Amino acid sequence: METIAFAGLHYTYPEMSARALDGVDLEIDSGLVLLSGASGSGKSTLLRVCNGLIPHFHGGVIGGGARVLGHDVVRTPTRELARHVGFVFQDPELQAVYPSVERDVAFGIENLGIARSEMLRRVAGALDICGIGHLRSRAVATLSGGERQRLALAGVLAMRPRLLVLDEPFSQLDPAGSRALLTALDAAVRAGSTALVAEHRHHLVAARADRWLLMAGGRAAESAQPRAAATLASAPPRAAPPASGLSWRLHRVSAGHGRVPVLHDLELAGGTGEVVALTGDNGSGKTTLLRTIAGLLPPLSGRVERRPGRIAYLPQNPSALLHRATVRSEVEWTLRRTGSGAGAGLLMDQLGLGDVAGRDPRDLSTGQRQRAALAAVLAGAPSLVLLDEPTRGMDGAARESLVVALARVAQGGGCAVVATHDQQLVAMVASRVVELRDGVACEQRSMVVASR
Amino acid sequence: MSTRALAAWSASGLVIALSTSNPIYRAVVLLCALNLLLARGRRGSGPRLLLAGIGIAALVATLVTLLLSHTGAHVLLRLPGAIPAIGGPLTLEALVFGLSTGLGIAAAMLAVAPLTLVSQPDELVDALPPALARTGAAIGAALNLIPGTVRSAAEIRDAQRMRGWRARRVVDWPAVAVPVVLTAIEGSLTLAEAMESRAYGAAVRTHFGVEAWTGFDTLVSATALLAAAAFLGLTLSGAAPGWFPFPGLTAPAVSVPAVLCCALLVLPSLRMRP
Repeated sequence: METIAFAGLHYTYPEMSARALDGVDLEIDSGLVLLSGASGSGKSTLLRVCNGLIPHFHGGVIGGGARVLGHDVVRTPTRELARHVGFVFQDPELQAVYPSVERDVAFGIENLGIARSEMLRRVAGALDICGIGHLRSRAVATLSGGERQRLALAGVLAMRPRLLVLDEPFSQLDPAGSRALLTALDAAVRAGSTALVAEHRHHLVAARADRWLLMAGGRAAESAQPRAAATLASAPPRAAPPASGLSWRLHRVSAGHGRVPVLHDLELAGGTGEVVALTGDNGSGKTTLLRTIAGLLPPLSGRVERRPGRIAYLPQNPSALLHRATVRSEVEWTLRRTGSGAGAGLLMDQLGLGDVAGRDPRDLSTGQRQRAALAAVLAGAPSLVLLDEPTRGMDGAARESLVVALARVAQGGGCAVVATHDQQLVAMVASRVVELRDGVACEQRSMVVASR
Repeated sequence: MSTRALAAWSASGLVIALSTSNPIYRAVVLLCALNLLLARGRRGSGPRLLLAGIGIAALVATLVTLLLSHTGAHVLLRLPGAIPAIGGPLTLEALVFGLSTGLGIAAAMLAVAPLTLVSQPDELVDALPPALARTGAAIGAALNLIPGTVRSAAEIRDAQRMRGWRARRVVDWPAVAVPVVLTAIEGSLTLAEAMESRAYGAAVRTHFGVEAWTGFDTLVSATALLAAAAFLGLTLSGAAPGWFPFPGLTAPAVSVPAVLCCALLVLPSLRMRP
């Protein structure tokens, strides 16, 4: 019996005319299967069929055959499929059911009616596998994006599913988190589970994957041999160009939420014409640093200097920005507010949004939404650009367009600071790399020395 | 203290506060509840906001009674009769009755407050009987959305500010309000998806959290429930009469056994320290 057997599967979302899945023929027996494809190609839709959220939760029109672990997806409710199918969504911020880490991991196994003694073992095991055993007593609200992503995975692993379905699970993970996830996937596969992983940063998974599927136009096709394409096309960070002036500077800044400092006595600066990549483990303080530079978070001590000019800030959650009826009007709104006379069309084309300019940004896929949010903040020629995990959900083409946009900011005399775990992006765009470790900045490629 | 024992204590306080119109008994319940909150309540803005809300609710109740009840012998002020509803004499009796009503509302709210301020939502869910476990899980998840929405509102305001948004006029607010509402709706839907995907409703739920039930919990629960039952008995038998200040002001009658019943609610705070 195949784990997944789709035959001529097609699906259309409610109130949409185009098919999101258009004749998917797919059989998966076992192993680790990588699913890639451009933003909006139907990956998330296909994954949602695996645990019955489509059609049971989303409605719409479904046709063809869809069997998972022998269950007819159309006839089996999601809560029954969930006994065997573990699902991790793209947005880890929105998946926590309970306010504390340990309790949230237990939610799924509570629903399965597992005895408490077994539950304790499973929760501890899942937290350890995901490398977040030290966070077990923490409040979910205090976790970083990457830590939340690991939490969501732990909650699913504790249920010991026969099929693991993961939607962009690496998007916010630091290298340690990525390694922990890969180890967990290996262990699950060795134990007999099947894993289906949709991921744009496919170099992370390809080396371990048994199969590589490519989604395009609502159909899935076998891609090249995964192990052959597993190497990361990386290059060392670009040599730092000479900075022509100071864009921002932190003088002995300590910052954090409440009275607890996350950043300690930081001495750091960014020059005009630079693209600074900000790296570091989940929870190391990257978002706090970006918010401090932006002026959104007053420092607990020390001083922040910024060159006059507009600051563009992209938060981790792109939905925080989007409130207009169309992508075009989002961009135009920023242009109006900043008094810019530029048009919206060029920027949208540069970011590959021309085709969706007239669509509601909240109807777009995560990657497209991320690009729409980017266009909304980059409009109006900002002099300082602060981006928090900008490649989340982005496909290769979108990442290329981001690189071009950042290069334009630098060439135009601006400065960009990009907090990211995406090593490909760092290799493609960064003129400097600053790593945060325990709230202290360590320059990896020196131009301005930064440390305590 | 166990959440179940706390729930029994809250229910008893609520019954006493709502079953009498006598401000003396209400005041004793209010003091006991306030004492418990101070002994065990969390620090931070939550308790302060709650106390402010209770104060406002009590004030509104007092004002509404004063303005709408034109009965009583001691007239403090006369509003023009042409003013609908509130026009006419404002009396001392109405003011005192309003204060008593506000006191009752404050006592009832404070009796329930420890359940939300002392206990976490998941502790409340665990305290529910098995028959309500599924409903409780849904309520717990919904409660978890509230702080998330508050945080998201702050993030959205910050993000829009960086795009040039300023709150100068009413028409500026949709730039923040719309994404807050849409994000909250999306958050609810994603949470529902996440719950469904984690087998919510697939079987009879078991609980990860198990509260210890101590002898003190038994003592608090039994004392509180007995106190409420005895108070109800005294009230229904006429031994602990209510109070009504109309047509003329009189001092409320006090039944010592009834005051003792109310005072028994102080028991949990005797053992708790901040």
